[in-house]
Amino acid sequence: MRQARPYSGIFCGGVSARTGPHALPLARIKKIMKRSAGETADGGARMISGEAPVVFSKACELFIAELTRRAWAATLEGKRRTVHKEDVATAVQNTDLFDFLVDVVMADAGGGGHAAAGQYDEDDGALE
Amino acid sequence: MADAPASPGGGGGSHESGSPRGGGGGGGGGVREQDRFLPIANISRIMKKAIPANGKIAKDAKETVQECVSEFISFITSEASDKCQREKRKTINGDDLLWAMATLGFEDYIEPLKVYLQKYREMEGDSKLTAKAGDGSIKKDALGHGGASSSATQGMGQQGAYNQAMGYMQPQYHNGDISN
Repeated sequence: MRQARPYSGIFCGGVSARTGPHALPLARIKKIMKRSAGETADGGARMISGEAPVVFSKACELFIAELTRRAWAATLEGKRRTVHKEDVATAVQNTDLFDFLVDVVMADAGGGGHAAAGQYDEDDGALE
Repeated sequence: MADAPASPGGGGGSHESGSPRGGGGGGGGGVREQDRFLPIANISRIMKKAIPANGKIAKDAKETVQECVSEFISFITSEASDKCQREKRKTINGDDLLWAMATLGFEDYIEPLKVYLQKYREMEGDSKLTAKAGDGSIKKDALGHGGASSSATQGMGQQGAYNQAMGYMQPQYHNGDISN
């Protein structure tokens, strides 16, 4: 079993019994991977090496940070201080790299029926 | 080995992510939320580190990013899986994922990921060796065969594996971590 070690803190900044030294839980990453891993030629389930979720734990961290920074840029553009999902959608639409996410953010934006994002900042105190 | 201990009953993360989602995440009807998404608390922590301290993040933004991360994992995994299919291999490994990320435009992630993977391999190696080795001399000897980092760490062999790890992880941390 993986255990938190004294030097884990410098590894990723967050340590818990659930994730070990990684910022995101490996078992959960593996579950999500399995949903898209497909099958082998003989119809068996494709296997996932132990290292693969480790790679993703860091890759997702980089991905989340990048998406958030770009969303924050959209937030500032609107002279606000709170990142909303519309900002994430803007970040996705403005970044070629994130083209594969367009459906995700558009489906999401359709569900809420919110007014313009600029009105949100009145609620700032209630958030977080 | 690589599986983190699964928390009983879904754990703390699912509590927070179990909130009502405004029609989001369509398609997954029968699948439990904790099987489809990473815990929102972890995602929130990483998001906060990416913006200035005076910035705030609304819940709907966290949930959107949560969905995007799952899509990211699926996107990369599918590409890596196709590669394995073509090469008639059964197991997706770390290098397949790095290849898929480079192919799909995430080449900026490759260097930090290689550094991270290298650290992970050294840590795994260290902990196995430490568990086996009863005294320092065996440990030192084993590390000597361990890999590229051995020359940097061998001199500190008597101080124990933790300190050795500190020694060579610190500079790599600064190189590899892009989130402040």
